[in-house]
Amino acid sequence: MCVGANSIRPQMIILKDLLKIKIICNNKKKGLGIMLLEINDLCVNAEDKEILKGINLKINKGEIHVIMGPNGSGKTTTANAILNNPAYTKIGGNIIFDGQDITHEKTDEIARKGVFMSFQLPEEIPGVSVTNFLKYAKNKVTGEPVKIFAFKEELKKYMEELNMNPKYMERSLNVGFSGGEKKKNEILQMLVLNPKLAILDETDSGLDVDAIKTVSKGIEMFKNENNAVLIITHNTKILHSLKVDYVHVLVNGKIVKTGTQELAKEIEENGYSKYKN
Amino acid sequence: MELLKLNETPVRTSRNFNINNIKLENISIPQEINNFNNMQVYGDESKVIIDNQNTKLNLTYGLGDFFTNQVSNNANKKIKIVIDKKVNKEIEIDFKFDKENNDLIDNIEIVAEEQAKGTVIIKYVTDKNIQAFHNGVIRLLAKKNSKVNIIVANLMNELSNNFMSIENKFEDESKVNYTIVDFGGKNSITNYFSDLEGELSDNKLSTIYLGKDNQLFDLNYIGELRGKKSNIDIEVQGALKDNAKKHFKGTIDFKKGCKKATGNENEDCMLLSDTAKSLALPMLLCSEEDVEGNHSSSAGKVGEKELFYIMSRGFELKEAMKLMVRAKFNKILDNIKNEDLKNEILDSIDKILD
Amino acid sequence: MAKTKLEEINRNIYDIKNKDEYDFKIKKGLTKEIIEEISKQKNDPDWMREFRLKALDVYNKLELPTWGPDISELNMDEIATYVRPKTGLSNSWEDVPEDIKSTFDKLGIPEAEKRSLAGVGAQYDSEVVYHSMKEDLIKQGVVYTDMETAVREYPDLVRDHFMKCVPVNDHKFVALHGAVWSGGSFVYVPKGVKVDIPLQSYFRLNSPESGQFEHTLIIVDEGASLHFIEGCSAPKYNKVNLHAGCVELYVKDNAYLRYSTIENWSKNMLNLNTKKAIVGKNAQVDWVTGSFGSKISMLYPMSILNGEGAKTEYTGISFAGKGQNLDNGFKVVHNAENTSSLVNAKSISKNGGKCTYRSLVRINEKAKNSKSSVSCESLMLDDISISDTIPVNDIRTDEVEFSHEAKIGKISDKTIFYLMSRGLSEEDAKAMIVRGFAYPISKELPVEYAVEMNNLINLELDGAIG
Repeated sequence: MCVGANSIRPQMIILKDLLKIKIICNNKKKGLGIMLLEINDLCVNAEDKEILKGINLKINKGEIHVIMGPNGSGKTTTANAILNNPAYTKIGGNIIFDGQDITHEKTDEIARKGVFMSFQLPEEIPGVSVTNFLKYAKNKVTGEPVKIFAFKEELKKYMEELNMNPKYMERSLNVGFSGGEKKKNEILQMLVLNPKLAILDETDSGLDVDAIKTVSKGIEMFKNENNAVLIITHNTKILHSLKVDYVHVLVNGKIVKTGTQELAKEIEENGYSKYKN
Repeated sequence: MELLKLNETPVRTSRNFNINNIKLENISIPQEINNFNNMQVYGDESKVIIDNQNTKLNLTYGLGDFFTNQVSNNANKKIKIVIDKKVNKEIEIDFKFDKENNDLIDNIEIVAEEQAKGTVIIKYVTDKNIQAFHNGVIRLLAKKNSKVNIIVANLMNELSNNFMSIENKFEDESKVNYTIVDFGGKNSITNYFSDLEGELSDNKLSTIYLGKDNQLFDLNYIGELRGKKSNIDIEVQGALKDNAKKHFKGTIDFKKGCKKATGNENEDCMLLSDTAKSLALPMLLCSEEDVEGNHSSSAGKVGEKELFYIMSRGFELKEAMKLMVRAKFNKILDNIKNEDLKNEILDSIDKILD
Repeated sequence: MAKTKLEEINRNIYDIKNKDEYDFKIKKGLTKEIIEEISKQKNDPDWMREFRLKALDVYNKLELPTWGPDISELNMDEIATYVRPKTGLSNSWEDVPEDIKSTFDKLGIPEAEKRSLAGVGAQYDSEVVYHSMKEDLIKQGVVYTDMETAVREYPDLVRDHFMKCVPVNDHKFVALHGAVWSGGSFVYVPKGVKVDIPLQSYFRLNSPESGQFEHTLIIVDEGASLHFIEGCSAPKYNKVNLHAGCVELYVKDNAYLRYSTIENWSKNMLNLNTKKAIVGKNAQVDWVTGSFGSKISMLYPMSILNGEGAKTEYTGISFAGKGQNLDNGFKVVHNAENTSSLVNAKSISKNGGKCTYRSLVRINEKAKNSKSSVSCESLMLDDISISDTIPVNDIRTDEVEFSHEAKIGKISDKTIFYLMSRGLSEEDAKAMIVRGFAYPISKELPVEYAVEMNNLINLELDGAIG
């Protein structure tokens, strides 16, 4: 069971309280503060190995959060757990999204409720074009028929913004795409599907400066006061071109510190060693 | 002389494809089997039992009843090798055919005990101008967690006949690397069968063959995956010159229950003359969903660009060819840590290609 | 004691019944008289009648194949009943079994095509297409007619080509075909004529007896080109359950032929079809095949590359569901220099179905500088199905480039998760991946066939339909 979570609970309560204070400050500033995602004491195993040992996280509408942490700290597991990837087993805690408990919902139902995840390694689907795929997914997410002409126009517009070659529209999804093209394609999907919460898992890793700027631009295009973004990353590059509200440090399956953009700067300078023990 | 039909594939296909079995004519089979005395054992001799009593064979495949029965009933060498935790040197058994020792019917049983590690080398060589006959069976039981390397080197001349059946049984987490060097024999007919019933059992089989004149190689390799997460890798590299001919029949069979098993088969034949012939049947049989199977097979002549490159560095054609063949075999030859054996094999390659 | 006796009595009754049926079948066995009767009804010229009788001899001598799917359920003594015209074949849509009707409704096959399913009125809808094309092409000398008419009106062309490409001694079912063939299409495209619109031979079940042993003979003369689509686009419902058709394609020097088939026979069919093409100098034949129906299928189209620089491509997919054993593949023989072949074969096994890819690539001594590249991919959708790959690669000379690749596996959980994270249900995700898997084949088909193929995939993946 989730022993680790119990032992650190007092500390987490303090963190939660800290968060609340900040949220209240935030509310005053933006007049928002409606809870979108709430993760409570989440413990997750991957292949019988304990990865997440009691995660607590709250995200309100209109916020951009960042989870930072060294390799193997449980960042990707967090993203996969929110979307309930069956390869990961939840052994404790729960996840509330938009007022509903989604802890054990099926992945597609979670997606249709408005959660999107940009994959670190997007899958290749031979024989299914980007256009057809997105049209189909959009239909599933909105539950409404997609008007092909308007849809293609929308797609074209987004692709231009993201500096993507429009020829990619007709190519098989991710097949033969370079690393950067795959990441941009994930951002494109985020824009088209327009979720309430976008989780971006290592979207910035392996990208050059220009590509990171493009991705940041995509995030800014997407972002409004009714949705939220959770960025998961092991480095701080993307934070140079994007303003974020909260930074959480994840080490060894636990969030050990929460702060603002300043915290990211500190980590950029000093690394994670301070938080490791 | 009667027609011999042997080495049947596990699954038949159209008769017109001439690959379901091999038909041989004019094979002189010794009626009376004399003793075979020219055998040497090197390394940890204490683990080798020369007069093994467990000789009755019940092979799943084998080359056919005649050959299996001959080994079962009339073997003139019955050997058992026990690899236990105390083995400290590799064990090598050399069979040398000469005028007095012309026919060898060997029945070799290898048992790898739990947790044991070891290497066994079995080598067959012939004196010049001897017409030898070899019919042998190697049975291996790899018990839990054992790790075994087995090297079988057929360095016989091309007047002889070589018949060989190998059957391996795998317990949980056993790991067996087989390296087969198949160079000799007017006819060299091999059946290899691995029953991977242990969970996480693993078999790597690497073969090199090299043929000239009218040599015929018939390789019938079968891997049955039964254990969860079991794996087999079959890698066959060969080259044929003159009128040499090769039949490769490779079967990877994913049996029901072998969840998450993997199997890979790669067969590559270098044709060094326009009359050499390569026939291949790389089969994948699958009755389990959660598996991954791949096979690839290719044939063709030595790349002209590479050849030109090597020759531009001052090598004559024959030398360049040798270099290319050696390069192709190198990866597999690296499995052989015994330098003497390795050099002997390299010498053979040079001789065959001369 | 009493119980034993009762069983004995019962068995006796059973035995008598059996014997009766056996006698009955003997009468129906394939005889010289029956062949002569067919020949008479068909108004065969003498040479054709003699040909049929010779084929009957060969048929009686040949054995059933010793490999491949078990076809022992096929009672060869009953062949006569397959051959003879059967008035019992249903003529009305109402007689078609309910499950097949609903399949058609789901497919959205137009009402017109529904009618043709039972073999009545089919010609009308096909004729319209047929005539409109004929008008256009007739001036250029293109011939497109049924096989019986061709035997009468183009005797020399037919005699020179009929069963020369597929000889009667090829295998037992070809010999059977030679003896009892009936119906089918004949196409001749004269030198240099390019036929732009595909010729479509929808199910040409003009009269009931023409269905099962139809003969297709296509000659594309020098420099001409044609795309021919075989008419199994919609499932036929046939009372009889043996299909032993024969397709012979002659692609002369510099000519091009594409032969497309979507096969969706009813699932009680034994489909033992034989297809072969002889390809001339710098000519090309392409095969596009989708195989969905049949209980058992043994189908291996073959290209014989006889001319220098001849080319062939094979693009095929098989989808086997419950109770189906689809043993399909491709054969190619390279007989001349600079020839090339390209194979892209895919299969999907589901619900206990079995797919086998069986093939031959032979590069003969004379075929210097030839190339052959084969790729097979098999998808297993559950753990009760079977997928086998049995390719024979016979390389007889050195100046060749030959490669063969095969893969077997399931749809990865990661891929399913990726699609589900975009809002697709697990079933939708799988269907999308399977459609993508089949896309290289469906893209080679005319739009309406491709749409139909996708519908078929959806139907096959839909649990509601068996």
